[in-house]
Amino acid sequence: MEFAELIKTPRADNVVLHRPFYLAVEGTLCLTGHHLIFSSRRQDNAEELWLLHSNIDSIEKRFVGSLGTIVIKCKDLRIIQLDIPGMEECLNIASSIEALSTLDSVTLMYPFFYRPMFDIVEDGWRCFLPDQEFELLTSVVMMRSSQPLTGTNGRRCKEDEKLINATLRPGKRGYIIDTRSLNVAQQARAKGGGFEQEAHYPQWRRIHKCIERFNILQESLIKLVEACNDQSHNMDRWLSKLEASNWLTHIKEILTAACLAAQCIDREGASVLVHGTEGTDSTLQVTSLAQIILDPRCRTIRGFESLVVREWLQAGHPFQQRCAQSAYSNSKQKWEAPVFLLFLDCVWQILRQFPCSFEFNEQFLIMLFEHAYASQFGTFLGNNENERSKLKLPQKTMSLWSWVNRSEELSKFQNPLFEANSLVIWPSVAPQSLQLWEGVFLRWNRPSKFLDEAHEEMINIIKYNKELQAKVNALRRQLAEMETDERMQENL
Amino acid sequence: MEFSELIKTATVENVVLSCAGLPAVKGTLCITSHHLLLSSCPGGDSQPGTMELWLLIRNVDAVEKRVQNLGWYQPPRTNGSPGDTRLAASSGTITLRCKDLKVLQLEIPGMEECLNIASSIEALSSVDSVMMLYPFFYRPQSLKLEEGWHLYPLEQYFQQISSQTSQWRLSNVNQDFTTCPTYPGTVIVPAAVDDDALRKAARFRQGGRFPVLSYYHPKNGTAMLRSSQPLTGPNRRRCREDELLLGTVLDEEERGFIIDTRSAQAAKQARMSGGGTEPKSFYPKWRRLHRPLERGRPLQESFIKLVEACNDSSISMDRWLSRLDSCRWLSHVKAALSTACLAAQCLDREKVSVLVHGAEGTDTTLLVTALAQLILEPSCRTLQGFQGLLQREWIEAGHPFHLRCAHSAYSHARLKQEAPLFLLFLDCVWQLSRQFPFSLEFSEQLLLTLFDSAYASAYGTFLCNSEKERCLCKVKESTHCLWAWLNQPGERKKYLNPLYTHNPLVIWPSVEPQSIQLWQGLFLRWIRSSQYLDEAWAEIQHLVESSKALGKESRGSRLSQSLSDPTARVESER
Repeated sequence: MEFAELIKTPRADNVVLHRPFYLAVEGTLCLTGHHLIFSSRRQDNAEELWLLHSNIDSIEKRFVGSLGTIVIKCKDLRIIQLDIPGMEECLNIASSIEALSTLDSVTLMYPFFYRPMFDIVEDGWRCFLPDQEFELLTSVVMMRSSQPLTGTNGRRCKEDEKLINATLRPGKRGYIIDTRSLNVAQQARAKGGGFEQEAHYPQWRRIHKCIERFNILQESLIKLVEACNDQSHNMDRWLSKLEASNWLTHIKEILTAACLAAQCIDREGASVLVHGTEGTDSTLQVTSLAQIILDPRCRTIRGFESLVVREWLQAGHPFQQRCAQSAYSNSKQKWEAPVFLLFLDCVWQILRQFPCSFEFNEQFLIMLFEHAYASQFGTFLGNNENERSKLKLPQKTMSLWSWVNRSEELSKFQNPLFEANSLVIWPSVAPQSLQLWEGVFLRWNRPSKFLDEAHEEMINIIKYNKELQAKVNALRRQLAEMETDERMQENL
Repeated sequence: MEFSELIKTATVENVVLSCAGLPAVKGTLCITSHHLLLSSCPGGDSQPGTMELWLLIRNVDAVEKRVQNLGWYQPPRTNGSPGDTRLAASSGTITLRCKDLKVLQLEIPGMEECLNIASSIEALSSVDSVMMLYPFFYRPQSLKLEEGWHLYPLEQYFQQISSQTSQWRLSNVNQDFTTCPTYPGTVIVPAAVDDDALRKAARFRQGGRFPVLSYYHPKNGTAMLRSSQPLTGPNRRRCREDELLLGTVLDEEERGFIIDTRSAQAAKQARMSGGGTEPKSFYPKWRRLHRPLERGRPLQESFIKLVEACNDSSISMDRWLSRLDSCRWLSHVKAALSTACLAAQCLDREKVSVLVHGAEGTDTTLLVTALAQLILEPSCRTLQGFQGLLQREWIEAGHPFHLRCAHSAYSHARLKQEAPLFLLFLDCVWQLSRQFPFSLEFSEQLLLTLFDSAYASAYGTFLCNSEKERCLCKVKESTHCLWAWLNQPGERKKYLNPLYTHNPLVIWPSVEPQSIQLWQGLFLRWIRSSQYLDEAWAEIQHLVESSKALGKESRGSRLSQSLSDPTARVESER
């Protein structure tokens, strides 16, 4: 397929771009195979907007006379509006965007065409290989799996029993955290699934912690974003919509299960096995968050990247399916779900409660959210390692980490307040302590100018501080040398 | 009255103090006239003789006691002999709910001791006479009594205005507090109106609160005035002097806005009880806008419900959000900010003058005028400027602190005139500080301290309901001023925002419901540990300081200076 076939009108002039909190600007709109580009050529403030087609979640068109208006809603939750003169142009552009933003084939995605303009210091495809990441096993472990296939007949498997028993310390019991309710787990038996029978796993105690999945989460996201975009200026309405979305309830459930897993390991010294049904969604939320709570290394930039690679990408979270659409889509496919976004939100909640314990900042988490849904990098393409290797992603696309792990990018993502904290950090999961992640959900609905400025100022202060500190150190050395010289001369 | 009469048991040994988030400590409990002290036992877990608790008894909002008997002994239900020695085997628990929202628990061996202590605390915390309160006894060594009381004279504020315009004058019409018992002796009024007219206008306004200047906006030469409602009553009484007073504020073609903080209906109903609104026919240049703001009992109940919801430790997310919604506190915050924005907008964008009033003019009126100034005026956003604003627009303007802050969210006492208007104001200021993290020179810590001090304090600043009462009680002669204490270099530092940079612009807050947040620093202060947030704050402070210090130093030419503090300290800490 040629992209050119899909682009009937590649360019339109006198288009007006509307964005919240900005003045409307007039300019030229261009469509390419992967981007929508808007450039205003006004001399006083020339600016360009580049939008990946794959970032477009939904598009709406309407007409007033021959003036067409396209409203574009993005997966990163931004909403922009384009006024396009000429009905035909507008229709052409809208249908091109629709087609280009819903390409089916992975190999037509932008990462396969993107050629970076930066020097690669370190190839991100190679920096988190499993054997490098294999660490010394301590006596207490956390494992993950999918549900056992016990079925209605209570089938058992000696090897499975042996495998997980091998992780127990003598005389110690372990915990199985099932991320489904007991009811759901029992029902799963009818479809061939099930849970570990006490009789066959006598050393394990099973705890059910229900975490929602699939369309329930997707609907929660859709409702939340709708509430955030509500313009009715009514506090009651906002709070009841926030409540009805259930988003914060999901955050609380996930964090609670993660704390429980961490508690079993840290306080009880017991091994833990986590699973739900497939073991690719809520299971990974729990295991990765538990590691952030327990292990200070996961709170560094490098460690967090490694955690995402190990516990999400390699562990087989189906990113392509789950992140196919975001909050504005009408498709409502059952495999779409903001599982990864919920994980990032939970990390943000912990970060907010422990502002000095993380090497990265909120921007880092927002960046990962954006790239999981639409990216020039191949990192989040495919649903598992098998698919990725078939697509030859390491050879054909650039890794997100190759781009992030360069000092000019890293500096944007560093938390200036970071001081390595070797302790376990127990977040409060009380409803009163959990907050809406404004950085993602109100990002485009609020004038963030002052908050951004505050952040920039912090970074400047820290930079300035470091420079001056270096200067002082140099001067101090100089003084010490001079004093030594003086003393030597006195001695002479 | 002697305090000692109220103290039946002054000392109890082996009392266990527990408080959410902290390990329990055992020690000796002492009650003095104004304080509850607990010093831990030597040889206990903590340092011998450490003072673990130093609580101003005035801070106690509610005392709950529970006595239980240990062991086998069941006292007879009737005819229980009080002298029965076996009662000593009993113990009691006292829960102290404080006005600053902290909750403490004391386990006291001995039922009688427990009951005595509880009743002493109850009696001492509800002492009604202002002059018996702690500020009249508190004598810190580092301060002088008169210090700080005259830091922000109205004359000084007037000088700034008179350098811009001659439209206003200072009037001493209320020197003896007879014209208006809740105004200070000196007020700023239109230059064209004489004191006689003021006296007449005062008789036409509830409580004598005739229109006075609250703020002059130099950019447009517009003014914000405040007053109480006019006493038009059912017969539509009018007062030429009041009409004249408001008329002279506006030039020939100018129009003004009256922001009434009651609903149109409430304002109409007020006529039945002698109050009312300015009729259009007699005040043709003024347009009235109604922006209802909650006050009085509904506001106090909103506060109580919010604190209840915050303290509920077994609440689900749904329940929490619906209780947060149904208590309506955030709606009140939003409404107060919106109305303040409206007033600010009139002055700054519409270039018209504004009169703000509700009924008495001592509550929501001050909330609006003080917030509008913070939005408009950069000099109100410094630590000094904010103190000046509070002094002028809350304390001297006659907000009845003594009545409004008599009880906080825990009290079981029948509600009288309590209402957390000042807290609502502080919450709105906090919302501003969150949206403009650079523009306020003071930190959240100052807002917390002000909240605490308004409800219970060692200083006299928030005592009484008006300047008249402060005069009668000799507050300025016999108590210390909070500002004097806050402004000591060592203290001042604690209340500064390290990120502050002067912002000459008007700061327009977002009042969308999505932008208004629960003030966790206040409402969850004693529920969640803020240790990590405090550390982050300290780190920011530290970074900014050392960067300033380093900046100065590197400019200095003397090499050896670089070896002295504070850089040396920075190095050794790293």
